[in-house]
Amino acid sequence: MNPDTRLKDPLSLRVTPWISFIGFFVVWQLLIDTGIVPRILLASPAEVGQLFIDKLTNPDPDGAVLLTHTMVSLLEAVLGYVLSLVIGIPLGLLMGWFVVAEGLARPPFEMIRPIPPVAWIPLAIFWFGIGLTGKVFIIWACGVVPCVINAYTGVRMTSPTLIQMARTYGASDWQIFTKICVPSALPMVFGGLQIALALAWTTLVAAELIAANEGLGYLITMGRRLLRPDMIVLGMIMVGLTGWIIGNIIDRIERRLTAGLERGGAAT
Amino acid sequence: MNAALEHPTTVQGLQRHKSPAAILRRLLKNRYVLYLVSISGLLLIWHFSAVNFATSKYMPTPWMVLKELWRIAHENLAGKDLLGHLWSSLHRVLIGFAIGSAVGVPLGLFMALNRYINNLVKPVFDLIKPMPPISWISLAILWFGIGEESKVFIIAIGAFVPALINSYNGIRLVDPALYDAIRMLGANRWQTMMEVTFPAGFPALFAGLQISLSVAWSCVLAAELVSARSGMGFLIILGMTMSNPSMILSGMVVIAVTAYLITVVLSKVEKWVCPWKVELPQ
Repeated sequence: MNPDTRLKDPLSLRVTPWISFIGFFVVWQLLIDTGIVPRILLASPAEVGQLFIDKLTNPDPDGAVLLTHTMVSLLEAVLGYVLSLVIGIPLGLLMGWFVVAEGLARPPFEMIRPIPPVAWIPLAIFWFGIGLTGKVFIIWACGVVPCVINAYTGVRMTSPTLIQMARTYGASDWQIFTKICVPSALPMVFGGLQIALALAWTTLVAAELIAANEGLGYLITMGRRLLRPDMIVLGMIMVGLTGWIIGNIIDRIERRLTAGLERGGAAT
Repeated sequence: MNAALEHPTTVQGLQRHKSPAAILRRLLKNRYVLYLVSISGLLLIWHFSAVNFATSKYMPTPWMVLKELWRIAHENLAGKDLLGHLWSSLHRVLIGFAIGSAVGVPLGLFMALNRYINNLVKPVFDLIKPMPPISWISLAILWFGIGEESKVFIIAIGAFVPALINSYNGIRLVDPALYDAIRMLGANRWQTMMEVTFPAGFPALFAGLQISLSVAWSCVLAAELVSARSGMGFLIILGMTMSNPSMILSGMVVIAVTAYLITVVLSKVEKWVCPWKVELPQ
């Protein structure tokens, strides 16, 4: 669980992560059980675990089972995320190589860039209501910025030597762009994907906290309205877990796609 | 990247007699012309889309947003003017950021320097890290009520995570050759820390603080969107409940300008406090 533990380490170093991990839950449970922290403020891990099993099948009291909430959030996130990739990455790549694309796309982009993603929420709700469209718009707006920046930077950081070599061999602008700039920008693009994902997930939760009738953020809000700390904690754990899983999947894809690049050292 | 690579056809610029097509081609290569075309095109499309099919109920014209900006700068909105709301947001950000980084930076440093502390803190930190700071808001409201404390708590959590990660990684990823060099020079443990560890780790640490501050700025907005009676987030949600899109947009303009100014000021400060930072080749 901790990458820093090695086999040759003394025993005390190897057990400390486990002590800490288990101790965290034990202290948490004891704090609730002994009444130091009142039950109205925080739920114990055991209660959260019970609720997790219960919520797998029981739609009460918030109207949907856990899987539905997760799927709704995931659907919103994935739709908005894919849209932002489809638009952001080609735009950023083109901006990095073609002067016309950069000149035309940069000013509007620089206007949108400093707006924190959560600031789009009221406008999106006003335009599209609290349903799927509004959420997808918000996630698109916050995901597209890192995609463009990283794709752009990736292309700009292409080694000039490679470009000059291609020119010498008579490659056209378009060939250089597709054969050299785009592959060498890939590691940066994947960095952008990870940033965009973290942003999209955070923003989605914020959007669901403010206006929604389904989704994990809604579960957290309902927990507060019904004074059910176990529901809040369960929602938070599900949000963290889902985000972590998606991040790992992207990491895996990245490693597969850029494996050849990093071996050759062309990524730098 | 040098200019010759970007303009492989500059030879054409040396021709004495330019055809209109050549002039057009040169204009299309000029960044500032393109910027001008882009901005005016954007404003025109915005204006006409607001005037024509979408009614002004959903989409105000750019001019209306400007007028609204002027109005909210002078009128009293829920007890404060624009500057008052901006200040109450900034005030929360500063307190939350101060708490978050005051906890995060030293903890990250200790984790990097001592493996026992690292092994004790990291498992718990890894549990907390993937949760978006905003998802703490319901617990924060249960614990602290809807006053200032719950917002400051969210901001502190948001600022804490990047501050810790970067100070931890900053110290751990110091070039080992530097340590070898200073040990050769006969430095003791304290001198090594003062002369190598901290100066070499500082740029990453400072970068973490920059991220913390921008995360703090979005956290305060999110917290104010959920429940507040003042602040910029409250202002734009007020625009939403009053069905006044120009108020939302002008609020977003102020938010974006503030975020931009924070970034600019911090990168200036960075040049000033750690001039030895190695810039990435762009």
